Amino acid sequence: MRDQLHSATTRNERDILLDLGQDLTRVREKNDLIILLTERMKTYFYFCHASVSLIGQQDNTFSAFLLDNTYSPLLKYPGYAKLVSAKYPLTGILQAVLQAEGPILYLLEEIVNQPMIPAFVPVYYEAGIKEVLIMKLMNEEKPIGFFHVYSDTAGSFSTEFRNLVQFIAPQISSAISNIIKNDEILKEKNEKSFLLDFSEGIATVKTKSELEDAVSNALRKLTGLRGYIILKINDDGLTMGSFLYDTSVPIPDMDELNALVSTSFPINDGLQSRVLDSQIPLLFSVELEIRRGIQSAYLHYWKKLGFKTMVGLRLRHGDTNLGILWLNIEEINIELLQGVCSQISIAMANIIANEQVIVKQAEQTFLLDFSCEIARVRTKADLEAAIFKVLDKILHAKVAMITVIADDGYNLVRFMFDETLFDHAREVYDEMLGKQFTIEETYNAKVLSSEDGLVFNVEEEAMSGNALAALWQTTGLKNAYSLPLRVGDRNIGTIWLLANHLSQLILRGIAAQISIAIANIQANEKLQNYKKQLENENLYLKEQISNIYNFSEIIGNGAEMQEVYRLMSLVANSATTVLVLGETGTGKELIARAIHNASPRKDKLMVKVNCAALPANLVESELFGHERGAFTGAIDRRIGKFELANQSTLFLDEVGELPLEAQSKLLRAIQEREVERVGGKQIIKVDVRLVVATNRNLEEEVKAGRFRADLYFRLNVFPIMLPPLRNRTEDIEALTLFFVEKYSRNSGRIIRKVTPGVIQQLRSYSWPGNVRELEHLIERSVLLTTNSTLQEVYIPTNHLLSERSENKEQFNRTLDEVDRTYIIGVLKRCRGKISGHGGAAAILDIPGNTLHSKMRKLGVTKTDYFSKE
Amino acid sequence: MKIVVIGGTGLIGSKVVEKLRQLGHQVIVGSPNTGINTITGEGLAEAMKGTDVVIDLANSPSFDDNAVMEFFRTAGKNLLASALNAGVKHHIAVSIVNADKITDSGYMRAKVVQENIIKESGVPYTIIRSTQFLEFLAGIANSGTQGSESHVSGAQFQPIAAEDVSVFVTQVALSAPINGYIEIAGPERSTMAEFVGRYLYYMNDPRKVVSDNNTRYFGALLSENALVPLGLAKMGGINFDKWMKGQGVKS
Repeated sequence: MRDQLHSATTRNERDILLDLGQDLTRVREKNDLIILLTERMKTYFYFCHASVSLIGQQDNTFSAFLLDNTYSPLLKYPGYAKLVSAKYPLTGILQAVLQAEGPILYLLEEIVNQPMIPAFVPVYYEAGIKEVLIMKLMNEEKPIGFFHVYSDTAGSFSTEFRNLVQFIAPQISSAISNIIKNDEILKEKNEKSFLLDFSEGIATVKTKSELEDAVSNALRKLTGLRGYIILKINDDGLTMGSFLYDTSVPIPDMDELNALVSTSFPINDGLQSRVLDSQIPLLFSVELEIRRGIQSAYLHYWKKLGFKTMVGLRLRHGDTNLGILWLNIEEINIELLQGVCSQISIAMANIIANEQVIVKQAEQTFLLDFSCEIARVRTKADLEAAIFKVLDKILHAKVAMITVIADDGYNLVRFMFDETLFDHAREVYDEMLGKQFTIEETYNAKVLSSEDGLVFNVEEEAMSGNALAALWQTTGLKNAYSLPLRVGDRNIGTIWLLANHLSQLILRGIAAQISIAIANIQANEKLQNYKKQLENENLYLKEQISNIYNFSEIIGNGAEMQEVYRLMSLVANSATTVLVLGETGTGKELIARAIHNASPRKDKLMVKVNCAALPANLVESELFGHERGAFTGAIDRRIGKFELANQSTLFLDEVGELPLEAQSKLLRAIQEREVERVGGKQIIKVDVRLVVATNRNLEEEVKAGRFRADLYFRLNVFPIMLPPLRNRTEDIEALTLFFVEKYSRNSGRIIRKVTPGVIQQLRSYSWPGNVRELEHLIERSVLLTTNSTLQEVYIPTNHLLSERSENKEQFNRTLDEVDRTYIIGVLKRCRGKISGHGGAAAILDIPGNTLHSKMRKLGVTKTDYFSKE
Repeated sequence: MKIVVIGGTGLIGSKVVEKLRQLGHQVIVGSPNTGINTITGEGLAEAMKGTDVVIDLANSPSFDDNAVMEFFRTAGKNLLASALNAGVKHHIAVSIVNADKITDSGYMRAKVVQENIIKESGVPYTIIRSTQFLEFLAGIANSGTQGSESHVSGAQFQPIAAEDVSVFVTQVALSAPINGYIEIAGPERSTMAEFVGRYLYYMNDPRKVVSDNNTRYFGALLSENALVPLGLAKMGGINFDKWMKGQGVKS
C-alpha cells in the first residue's frame, strides 16, 4: 500500500516535473511563471496561491518578486502596493528556512505574534490564510530567494506536496535566474536603443534650438523625469548661465523664470562646483541643500516647482567642462545618463564652436565692410563719417579719441574725438583742449608700448580718479579699449574706444584700418603740399622761359672775354657771391647762368629776380615771401625767391636798383643765411649762392647814398667786369654771323653771307647798347634783306644814347659840353643844392653866383639835374 | 541607523557588517558584487539615501602605484561627493599608521590622498589609522622569499588581528565623529622579522626568516619605527598566540 502510494506519488511527481519542465521553457513573462506553477500544481493539490520573493544582497532583506495577481486574497487590500514594494529583514522564520534543506511549514496563528515577523504575515492571517510553506531558492550555492505557498485550509501541505516543492525548487531558481538575466538584457537593450535613438536625434543637430528639440524628445522617454535644465559655463569661466531648459514644466512665475534664465550663477556657489568636480552623476536633495545654506536662486525655484531630488551631471568635452545637466529624477541610471551626457556634450561643443565661427565670420564681414568704408576715406571728415557710421551704429562702440604723434615724434595731437561725450562737461572739455598730451604721458605710454592695446574698466578708472573716465561713464559703456595705431612697426598714434565688449579680432582690425586711413590722410596732405610746391615752381618756370635769352653759349674769344672766362672758371665751383658788372646789353645774365651751370648747383634751377622790374613795395615779398594775410592782398602764403633758390643760385639782376629797406634785408639774408617771410614769425634757413649784376657803378651809388656800403662790400667779393662791345671788335663778326643765322632761321629767309663792308661798318660803330643793340640791329637788317646776302645794316645815326654814357670819354665834345655835363652831375649828387654847405658850388670850389651864371650860360635847368636817369 | 559599509564583503568589512547587523542596524553591503561601485558610481546614490554612517573599507584591486592612486582618488571623490549630497553624518575610513611619513611608498601616498579627500569633503569623519593585520604575515613571508629563505625587514612591528580592527571600526561607527584620527594597534610589539619567523614556525613552514633591513615593504625601506604608532594607540585584545589558535594550524 505504502509502496503503491509511493509509486503513485513518484509517478505524479514525475508527471508534474515533466509538465513543469515543459511549462518553464515556455515562460517569457515573469508573472506567467507563477500562474503556470499555480495552475499546474493545483491540478494535483489544494492551496490558495503562491509567490516568489528575492533576497537583496546589499542589505540582507527580501522582497516580493513574482506575485499571483489572480488568486492572492490581498489584491483588494488597501496597503497591498506597500506590502509588495517593502523590504523585509531576513530574521526569525526566514533564518530557519535558510538553515533547512527542504520547505518549512508555518501555521500563521503560531507565528503571527512573534517579534520581527514580516508585515505581510498578519495581513494574510487577517485575510484567512492558515498555513504557509516556504522553500529557499538557491543559485550557485547561495540563497537567492524564497518560494511561498499559502493555504486557507489547515493540513493542506501533505508530504507529497512538500516533496514536490523541494523537487521543483531548483527549476524555479534557474527559471528566476533566467528571468533576472532576461530583464537585465532587456534593460540593457532598451538603454542601448534609447541611446542610439538619442544619438541619431542629436547627430543632425546644428543649432541650439535643434538641440533643444532633440534633448526634449529623448529625455521625455526617461521614466520618472519631471524636468531638466542645461547650464552652460560662461566665457568668463567663473559663472554659468541657462543654456536650455524643459519648456514642458509648468511655470509658477514667469517673471521669476525670466530672471533666472538671464542670470549668471557663480560656479563656486557650493553646488555647481560639486557637480563639475564629480566624475559621476550626483543626486541632490533640494531640501538638504537649502538647509545647508546654499543661496542660489535656481535651487529655491526648484523647491517652488516641487522638485525634491535633482541629479546633476557635468557636461564635458575632452578635458573641458562645458556645463551641467540637471535632471529632476529620483534615481540614477549611471550608464544611461552618462551616455546622454556625452552626446549632449558633443552637440553642445559643436554648437559652441559653430557659434564662435558665426561670430568670427560676422566680425570678419564687419571688418571687410569697415575696410571698404575706410578705403574710400581721403579726408579727416570722411574718416569721421565712416567711423561714426560703422562703429556707433553697428558695434555700439564710441571712438572717445584718436591722437596722432606729431612730426616731432613726441607730442600727441588730438586728431579726432567724440564731442558728444562732452555735451554735459564743457569744463573738462576746455581743460582737455588746453592740455598737451605727449607720448610719455602714463596712459599713452602704456598703450603705445603694448602689443595689442589695453582694456580699462570704466568704473574702476573712474574710482581711481581718472577725469576722462568720468566722461566715459556718461556713455554707460563698461570698457575703454585703447590700442596703438601702427603702420608697419611705426607708432602713429593711439585710439580710445568705448564699448561693452569688443573682441580682439575686431579691435585689431579697427586699429589697423584706422591706422592706414590716418596714414593715408597724412600722406594725402603731404602730397597736396608737394603738388602745390610743384605748381609754384612750374608757374615760375613758365615765367622764366619767356624771359631767358635763347642762346646757350657765349660767343666771342677776344682777349677781354678770355679774361672773363678765366675768372668764371675760378669762381664757379665755390659758393662765393659774384658781382657781374658791365654796361647794359653786355650779357650779364648769360654770365650768371654760365657760372650757375658750371657750379655744383647746376642740377637745380637758377632763380632770377630783376630788381628793377619790381615795384618797391613788392620787392621784399618777392625776395622773402609772405604769410597769408601779411598785408592787404596777401590772400595766400607765398614762398620767396630766396626759399625757392634754396640749394641753388639766386641771380639778382639790376641789384643797384634795390630800394634801401630791401637792401638791409638782403644784407641780413646774406650774412645770416636765413630769411623771414613778411608777416611770418618763422625763420627759414637757406643755402643760396648769390650772383648779382648791375650796369651801375656801385661805388658811385654808395657815394651817392643810394646803395648801402656794407651791402656793397658783401657783394663785391668777386667782381667780373664784362667788356663793352666796342672794346671787343674782334668778336663782332662772330656775333653778327650768329645773329644772322638765328634770325634768318626765325624769319624763314636764307641768308648765307654778310658782306665785308657790313662787317666793317659794324666794327666802326661805338655800340652804346652793346650786344643787345647788335642783336636787334641784325634782327631788323635780316627782316629788311630781300636776297641771300646781308648787304646793308641800318646803324642809327642819332647818337643820343652814347651821350648818356657819361663816364666814357670819347674826346669828341666841346669844352662847354663837358662843363655842362659835369655841372649837372654834381648838382644831381647834391640833390639840386647849389650854394651853401654840401652845395654843388662848394664841390666845384667856385662861388655860388658864378655857378648860377654858368648854369644860365650853359642852359642847365632843374629838369636836367632832377631828371631820373 | 542606516550604515553603508563599502568593501563590506572583505576581510574587515564582512566582520563589521555582521557585528552591526547583530546590533540591529540597517546595514548596506557596498561592493561591486552587490551593485554598489565607487569607481563607476553605480548604485552609490541610491545606497546613500537616508544613510547615517558610511564606513569605507575598500581596497584597490591592483597595487601598482598609479592604479592605487587612481583607485583611492576616484573612489574617495565619488564616495564623499555622494555622502555629502545624502547628508551623511559620519564617514569612517581605515588608513595606515604613519601613512604620511612613508612617502617612498606609492600605496601610502594614495592612502594619504584618500585621507585628504575625506578631510576636505565637508562630511564629519573619523579616520582610523591601523597597524598591519596579523593576517598579512603569510603575504609578507611570501613576498620576501628568496629560495629557502624569507627576507623580512627588522623594523618594529605591532600587528593587529582583523577581528580587533572590526571591533574598533564598529565602536567608531556607533560613536560621534571626531573629525580627526585615532590609531589602533595590536597588543604586542617586536620586529617584523620576528613575527614572520614565529608565524612560519607555527605553520611548520621550512623557510628560514632573515632579518634584512634592505627588504622593502610596499615599495619603501622601513626605518626602525616606521610602522608603529608613535603616540597613544588603542590596543586590540588578540595577541599572536590567541590569533594563531583561531587559524587552525596545519599539521
